[in-house]
Amino acid sequence: MTQPVSPPRDSTDKVPSAAEPPAWRAVLFRADVRTMSLLGVLAVLILIGGITKPDQFLDTRNLQLVLTQASVIGVVTVGMTFVIISGGIDLSVGAIVALASVWATTVATQEYGFGGILFTAVLVGLGCGLVNGVLIAYGGMVPFIATLAMLASARGLALQITDGRTQIVTVDGVLDLGERDSYVLGIPPLVLVFAAVTVIGWLVLNRTTFGRRSVAVGGNAEAARLAGIDVRRQRLYLYLLSGLCCGIAAFLLIVLAGSGQNTNGNLYELDAIAAAIIGGTLLTGGRGTIVGSVLGVLIFTTITNIFALNNLQSDVQQIAKGAIIVAAVLVQRRTASTT
Amino acid sequence: MPETPFTSRRGLLFGAAAVSAGVLVTGCTSNESSDDKPAADNQPAADDKPGKPVTIGFAGPQADHGWLNAINDNAKKRAEKYSDVTLEITEGSNDTAQQIGQIETLINKKVDVLVILPADGKALTQVGLKAMRAGIPVVNLDRIFNTPQAYRCWVGGDNYGMGLNAGHYIGEKLKDKPDAKVIELAGLDNLELTKQRTQGFDDALKNYPNIKKVARQAAEFTVESGQAKMAQLLQAQSQIDALWNHDDDQGVGALRAIEQAGRDEFLMVGGAGALSAFQAIKADSGVLKATVLYPPTMAASAIDLARALGQGKGVGGLAEFEIPSSVTCYSAVVDKDNVDQYMSTGFK
Amino acid sequence: MAPQPPLLSMSGITKSFPGVRALDGVDLDVQAGEVHCLLGQNGAGKSTLIKVLAGAHQPDSGTIRWRGDDVTLRSPIAAMRLGIATIYQELDLVEHLSVAENVHLGHEPTTAGFVVRGRAAKASTARLLQRLGHPEIDPARLVGDLSAAHQQIVSMARALSHEVRLIVMDEPSAALDPDEVDNLFRIVGDLTADGVAVVYISHRLEEIRRIGDRVTVLKDGRAVAGGLPAKSTPTKEVVALMTGRNVEYVFPPRPASAPQGDPVLVVEGLSRKGEFAPIDLQVRPGEIVGLAGLVGSGRSEILETVYGARKPDTGRVLVDGKPLRPGSVRAAVRAGLGLAPEERKAQALLMLESVTRNVSVSSMSRFARLGWIDRGAELGAARAAVRELSLRPDNPDVPVRTLSGGNQQKAVLARWLLRGCRVLLLDEPTRGVDVGARAELYAVVRRLADEGLAVLLVSSEVPEVLGLADRVLVLREGDVVHTAPARELDEHRVLDLVMEGSPAS
Repeated sequence: MTQPVSPPRDSTDKVPSAAEPPAWRAVLFRADVRTMSLLGVLAVLILIGGITKPDQFLDTRNLQLVLTQASVIGVVTVGMTFVIISGGIDLSVGAIVALASVWATTVATQEYGFGGILFTAVLVGLGCGLVNGVLIAYGGMVPFIATLAMLASARGLALQITDGRTQIVTVDGVLDLGERDSYVLGIPPLVLVFAAVTVIGWLVLNRTTFGRRSVAVGGNAEAARLAGIDVRRQRLYLYLLSGLCCGIAAFLLIVLAGSGQNTNGNLYELDAIAAAIIGGTLLTGGRGTIVGSVLGVLIFTTITNIFALNNLQSDVQQIAKGAIIVAAVLVQRRTASTT
Repeated sequence: MPETPFTSRRGLLFGAAAVSAGVLVTGCTSNESSDDKPAADNQPAADDKPGKPVTIGFAGPQADHGWLNAINDNAKKRAEKYSDVTLEITEGSNDTAQQIGQIETLINKKVDVLVILPADGKALTQVGLKAMRAGIPVVNLDRIFNTPQAYRCWVGGDNYGMGLNAGHYIGEKLKDKPDAKVIELAGLDNLELTKQRTQGFDDALKNYPNIKKVARQAAEFTVESGQAKMAQLLQAQSQIDALWNHDDDQGVGALRAIEQAGRDEFLMVGGAGALSAFQAIKADSGVLKATVLYPPTMAASAIDLARALGQGKGVGGLAEFEIPSSVTCYSAVVDKDNVDQYMSTGFK
Repeated sequence: MAPQPPLLSMSGITKSFPGVRALDGVDLDVQAGEVHCLLGQNGAGKSTLIKVLAGAHQPDSGTIRWRGDDVTLRSPIAAMRLGIATIYQELDLVEHLSVAENVHLGHEPTTAGFVVRGRAAKASTARLLQRLGHPEIDPARLVGDLSAAHQQIVSMARALSHEVRLIVMDEPSAALDPDEVDNLFRIVGDLTADGVAVVYISHRLEEIRRIGDRVTVLKDGRAVAGGLPAKSTPTKEVVALMTGRNVEYVFPPRPASAPQGDPVLVVEGLSRKGEFAPIDLQVRPGEIVGLAGLVGSGRSEILETVYGARKPDTGRVLVDGKPLRPGSVRAAVRAGLGLAPEERKAQALLMLESVTRNVSVSSMSRFARLGWIDRGAELGAARAAVRELSLRPDNPDVPVRTLSGGNQQKAVLARWLLRGCRVLLLDEPTRGVDVGARAELYAVVRRLADEGLAVLLVSSEVPEVLGLADRVLVLREGDVVHTAPARELDEHRVLDLVMEGSPAS
């Protein structure tokens, strides 16, 4: 039999210390890299926009326009990010936006003025979120199925309310919010709401027990349950939160479009999921950032803007959008595996 | 010719209403003056007097859009006007398989005539053929089947004509303006009809060398997309002279974007004929000066044609024994001068 | 013996990951027909080494010679083609496929290249299972329906379905009962008699003594000893090589006097149909009560039912004389219970999160006002708990997944320490924890008990229960067959009770 092939080269006692600190630094760095790569993509887009259409793109009004267009889907995406971080999915966001926007703009609701419209939009959003949450948390339904059912029924109900008609808003207070006169220091009110939702969303995710529990439920639901977290109640709250965001988004959309229509919020679910994913949120749950998701939304909106300014048609826009999703995710995978 | 005497009050009332509606039908179905009397008086032409009872099956797509909703309304109201017409109307569906099922049910019920507005004309051709083979004549409404064998009569709008008329209207308004700039807010680019509308518009503009189409973006027939795309178009073009918008529904959003951008230097022409557009044209307070019709009254005409088919009659005002095999409705331009005439046909 | 080239010879293998040098010039040679044991603490580089051998990782440098020729193992398939099969600790079976489909996954017997011959696959699977001594496993059953032990047999059948010359087994005995371990050793013996080499990884020295021929010890990514005789190298020497310290496998001393006082945890007639018969037990503050018995005797189920993770059919659980709401984990946690479950990664840890967040997850509201977390207070408390349990590294910001098994277990204990829990339920507390770290963990548990905690311990390793617990309940198929102070029992007696089921005395 052979004897020891490699004699103990380092038999003296040594505490294994070298490996540990770089490991956690790498994690922090990686999170940074993800955000940086998104900012990089955005910077490249701004460069492209600035070169191709310097006058129209690099213009305060265009900045206001891009941010305004990002507001509605942005608010939806913040809610969606929470749901995905918790390991769920909400396919009904677009339908809830549609339902909330038409319910809040019926002739009867409009009689109650500004408050009536806002209140109804938010209440309908919360109501749909409540149904989703109860079905998923206490009914044991898979989120995909429960929210798919909500998608179908909310769209159906929206159609029933409108009969396919466009409900034009006549409440001046609501319409004025979308006009230039109500900009605050050059910032459109819709953008202010979007910014507020983003900041609050970031704080809730990173600084509160609610955010921690959401991450824990998404990271390992069984571990969260055995650690004493009420996983079901947390899930209920998460879908309520998503519904609330949809309600707010519906109100913003009413302000923006001056009307309610059952076709509103078309494919928002896919846009919101796509933005969250390129923002670095794991579709399997447990990890995600609000900043990433919002950057994802801004990237998509900027692409649309640049394409429209260059008069490129929707077919090219769609191809580019798909390519960006693939590219962004590939870049992230690469940075995640090499750092 | 078998005739049922006028007996019911309802018949009287609707008879009267139908006379006034008849003006519109003429506008839609006939390019001839109604003063031209038919060569012979003995052809059996459909009129408002009750005749042989006819059951008409009506299958349309889901009314998720103002215009489609108006189609359903027009068909229903028209059928109610005739005491001899029973309308079997299906729940609208955008699902091809579901619509095929609904039409097959109507075939099995042995309705006398079918009026079909397919969710997808190509995909529903087979079921049209099936109905025709079963001896049920089909009136194909708007979205055309693949083959003329699948329908007895097609009645629909003129998408190319819409673009053409919008282009001519704008051309005439701007013909004295050098280097005029025009933009186009198109509908859903996936649809053939959007291409046709754009083609007609471009062809018309070729007659006016001073006008240039500087930008085109496609929205999705929704208010939301209309607002979003219009906002981008306005940012892209700091000064324009005219805008053609394919659809009045998305036009609500487009007008909102125009208002938000504080722009008013151009004239806007809409499409389809929504009530809100008519009202804005009548008020003449904004950029919207005209809209090009894609008349939902074609559904009422389809009911008329189906009733005539069921009763074996031709169309009043035409010399033919039979109804035509194809009726293309005219895409009239509605502006301030004639808006009152069309106001009642505007859809919400 | 004439020198012949070793079957496998790896030399100077290095492999780095971001921030970690996992392998630092490792040599390993394996002869045909031998059982070569690989020893080392968690993080020593064993997993990385076998992944290199399986073609799953590419080494940064070093050479691999196979039967005298230089080879590059570009992929798991390349390794498989050479005849190297690996049975991982986390079984890589597809739960929703049948046994036969799993065994032939990737190399299904086919007609015309694509039509799977299901019957042929089943027949050959049945032959393999026969050879492995488990003819009772039905090739048509879904793998997900099998027990862990049977799944391991299937995994082994899969390895043998190829022409193998070398099988790598990563802690194959971890999930097995003693008689199943015997069967495993018989199979290993058969294989080596046929000239197949086995690379065997285990924490259990006694197993290595039984079947091993030679031992290679890894520490910090280096082979600190290669090819030691497995049967004659003294345990102390092996442990010293592994840990770099001279550590006796010792249990902390029990307190001089048995804990008195009223029991804090009382279980009365608790049962679940098909899992365990009604059980009564009491744990006093400062006392460690152990449950011993074979896999499948309902130990984990009892613990999880006490904790409220499962709903009992009969009976109740009282803490300080107050009954808990049955089937409610939250009620149990609120009453002061804490569970360190068997499957730490799946049931306890948030693997993507830092140690701090893992430790504070059950006590978040303590650091929060209106849901707003005071992160300074949280970090301070986590740091204190980490220090108290001498968790390493003592920086609570590191991700919990970078910790070794023993330190991950300490993170779970720190969670309950922070929560201020009064009854600790430990399910297989040293599973996946290396030898050196075990003693430390035992000391921690005893110290917590000395500080007044009541501990209910479950372990499949009888010496662990006997060494650590004050009192032991012996279970046999869900029945308590014996209760006695731990010092009155020895391993033999317990195994007798478990096997024979002699009446409780």
